[in-house]
Amino acid sequence: MVEKNGASSIDTPKRFVRLRQFLGDIPLLAWLFGGLISVLVETQVGDALASLLGLPKVPVLFGCVLALKHPLLLPGALAYVSVIYIATIVLVGKITARPFNLLAEKMIQWPIVIPVAIHLITLYAIMHVWSDISLYRELTLKLTLIAIMLTLSLNIINGYMGEFSCSHPGFMSLGAYGASAIMVLFFVNDRLFGKALLPEALGPFFFPIALILGGVAAALGALLIAIPSFKTRGDYLAIISLAFMFIVKSLFENLQFMGGARGIKGQPDLANLPTVFIWLVICVWVINNFVRSTMGKALNAVRDDEMAAEAMTVNTRRTKMVAFLFAAFWAGVAGGLFAHTVRFINPNTFGVQRLAEVLAMVYFGGLNSVYGSIVGAVSLNLLSEMLRPLALFKWIIIPLLLILIMIYRPTGLVAFKEFDVRKLIQPKHKSEKEV
Amino acid sequence: MSLLQVENMTHYFGGLRAVHNFSLDIEPGQIRALIGPNGAGKTTIFNLITGIYTPTEGRIALDGEEIIGLQPHEVASRGLGRTFQNLCLWRHMTVLEHVMMARYSRLTYGLVGAFFGTPRRNREEAASRSKALELLELMDIAHLADQTVINLPYGAQRRVEMARALASEPKILFLDEPTVGMTPEELDQMLGIIRTVHQELGLAIYLIEHRLKMVMELCERIQTLVFGEVIAEGTPEEIQSNPKVIEAYLGKEAVH
Amino acid sequence: MQLFFQNLINALQWGSFYALIALGYSMVYGILMLFNFAHGDIFMVGAYIGFGVATGLTALAAMGALALPNWVILVLTILISMFLTSFVGMLVERIGYRPLREAPRASAAITGLMIGIILETGNLAILGAQRIRFPSLIKSTTYDLGGVFVTNKKIMIVVVSLVLMLALNEFIRRTRWGMAMRAMAFDYVVIPLMGVPLNTIASLTFALGSGLAAAAGILFAIAYPVLDPYIGIIYGWKAFVAAILGGRGSIKGACLAGFLLGFIEIFVGAYMPSTVRDLIAYSIILLILVFRPHGFFGEPHSAKLRL
Repeated sequence: MVEKNGASSIDTPKRFVRLRQFLGDIPLLAWLFGGLISVLVETQVGDALASLLGLPKVPVLFGCVLALKHPLLLPGALAYVSVIYIATIVLVGKITARPFNLLAEKMIQWPIVIPVAIHLITLYAIMHVWSDISLYRELTLKLTLIAIMLTLSLNIINGYMGEFSCSHPGFMSLGAYGASAIMVLFFVNDRLFGKALLPEALGPFFFPIALILGGVAAALGALLIAIPSFKTRGDYLAIISLAFMFIVKSLFENLQFMGGARGIKGQPDLANLPTVFIWLVICVWVINNFVRSTMGKALNAVRDDEMAAEAMTVNTRRTKMVAFLFAAFWAGVAGGLFAHTVRFINPNTFGVQRLAEVLAMVYFGGLNSVYGSIVGAVSLNLLSEMLRPLALFKWIIIPLLLILIMIYRPTGLVAFKEFDVRKLIQPKHKSEKEV
Repeated sequence: MSLLQVENMTHYFGGLRAVHNFSLDIEPGQIRALIGPNGAGKTTIFNLITGIYTPTEGRIALDGEEIIGLQPHEVASRGLGRTFQNLCLWRHMTVLEHVMMARYSRLTYGLVGAFFGTPRRNREEAASRSKALELLELMDIAHLADQTVINLPYGAQRRVEMARALASEPKILFLDEPTVGMTPEELDQMLGIIRTVHQELGLAIYLIEHRLKMVMELCERIQTLVFGEVIAEGTPEEIQSNPKVIEAYLGKEAVH
Repeated sequence: MQLFFQNLINALQWGSFYALIALGYSMVYGILMLFNFAHGDIFMVGAYIGFGVATGLTALAAMGALALPNWVILVLTILISMFLTSFVGMLVERIGYRPLREAPRASAAITGLMIGIILETGNLAILGAQRIRFPSLIKSTTYDLGGVFVTNKKIMIVVVSLVLMLALNEFIRRTRWGMAMRAMAFDYVVIPLMGVPLNTIASLTFALGSGLAAAAGILFAIAYPVLDPYIGIIYGWKAFVAAILGGRGSIKGACLAGFLLGFIEIFVGAYMPSTVRDLIAYSIILLILVFRPHGFFGEPHSAKLRL
């Protein structure tokens, strides 16, 4: 639902104005409630509706995969999606708009934690119910959530700070390898690391520590880049970070005790949906806090005019270093989660292709914006899954789409927009909309 | 003791001597000006004092404290605010954000505050905000607080820059051609602003200016710089009648 | 000692590939201040176009329609492929970079990256995933020079690339267009105001770079006749790093760094397990860049990514 809100901020043509007015008075919680109802409906009547419409099974990713494989099923898939998702959400949202607006008005006066928690719990419930239907959905969802973390962290460097970093796959692999090594060493009987050193039951408690250590490893790697890079300005970082990425990759290829080119597999299955979701929430919260503080905005000042920033008492070098390490830390955490989601990593997982993917998500969604990162990561991830039946042509369509975006919106879809939680959950009234 | 003291400052760019034996004494609350033809090295002197370049020779003391070798941000947070000749604003930031940014060195909440939004951070940010709004009020641009700076007219941008320079609560303000490219009305307004800043905040001001009329009206003492060297120093009247100045500066102007 | 010279020959050969590719990166960077991330894939496309041309010409020769000796066919292949590939380069510039000239440079880097992906995938889609054997245009002969074995192919590769580099150098130094390119590299904001057509120069730069990449592709295919769509990623990125090492925008820097990269790789591979080759090569480059931030011949630029 969050992405829906982000998307609505794009300048909409005139003919959408009426639609916006119609939907404009639905507060976020009503949308979420509608979503929850719709996924609950799907669990109850999804199978029946699918067979009624002549679909072989419940469409897993909004019917796109199905329709691409068997074009004849397109009307059925469309009907399914419009009934289950669109109609239900809009209907429920519209009906419950008034009570939820009243609630929102109350909630806005409570400490911000409570309404945020309510929203997040609802959001999680939607994801949980939705992904319960198939393992594939759950995996896609988890990878999408991890992609948001990655995109957001790269956005700190490439968007907020305005440098061009190519080392994100490197940071990710440092985190992934770090966390995996710790977890496999302690909790798994493995050929590479030997017998488990601790009982498996302790795993879930150590997992966050392992992730954080992975993140710290990534941040230390970032320090190696940051020390030489931020002395000089210009495109220096782009090149150093690119070389760094290749170095990390071939380092892991050569570290035999880390599995060498074959990598590590069999990570304990600890990155379940709630874990990933909680980490994502923490990540978004902390990063958003940072970029909205004056210390974080110093990044924008450094990007737009470094000399002026210095003259206005901003310690530019420290600002850049901190942001770079901070971003690397989150890339490392995301890498650790990634490793425990797919439960298999090797050096090739973190190559140029991954780099292109992350960069694409950042620039597609929009620079300098938390919304943008969410939009970019979610849409490119889902798109890439939905276009899977097209096989190769997927890798022509997605790049083309991105080129078009770059030409018509060079900074991405939802660039330079502040993510303000208060604004997001506030009650929506018609009168307010017209202002 | 003087507020800013520069002694025998000399600077070379490679083999080129950009500034030679420059000395300066500014007392608290004084307004002084540096005039001189284009390319005389005026902005270089600003950049030397503010720490962007390190002078080859000489010493600079701000409030009795040696500042040579400090980073520009350190010099700035010790009480030296400045504006730029070509408006170095941050194009994606709002007016309010500009002014709040200059209070960076006064924030004490640290990274923990920045990451986790502690109450201390909220307090400090709120204080910084109200201070910034005060300054915007003083500059008469409070109604533009949430605008992005690139959307503003030139005169307003100049005011933003001024408010930003004041936000770090400097003891001395360096203004690099504050009226360049202004219409006569804007010029009068800027003159008013500089007077206000000087009187209400009691700041010392050191300015580079091309418009002699403005300098004559504002300043107590003027230095004339030609090819990196001060050829004359004195009150506006003295400068106006100094034959060297007329030859080097006004004479050149007259030719144009 | 023999081993050393043997490696030297190999290093020269690999250096030639890297240098030729690096030139394209460097010229585009020098003139338009952007990273042409699609260039590695243009190298790949060049190799494939070379494959097409070579196959066509040899088929014609076999049918008797074209009674030419093999070396002429080779030269023709190189020239025709360079010519054709230069259009690919110009197309890339036209589609991916020209519309973005006012946009942040990072966005242009992204389109470059995406065009690269499209070229790879397009290739896979058209030709399928199987590897392609490049027709052998010259018969391999090995000369024994006091225990050092040199094939005629290796000599040919090094000679052809040196000739191309010299030709490029002459072009840039002596012709009117070359002068315009140098002026543009000096300042691409002001020079167009003086009547030098920016778009034409940009096209020309891409055409030249792509032509050289195509030559590199064919030479590569002659030495290692099995082609796959990923050679662009593998060698292109390395050449990119070499271009940077040489100093952005510097022709002689790109050549020098290309050869240096070849030397590092071959000699590391010769005395150490081949798996650490990349690791050491990139680490050396990183170290050089730490101490010489602007590469061998680059000039400090304070340009930042415009946003």
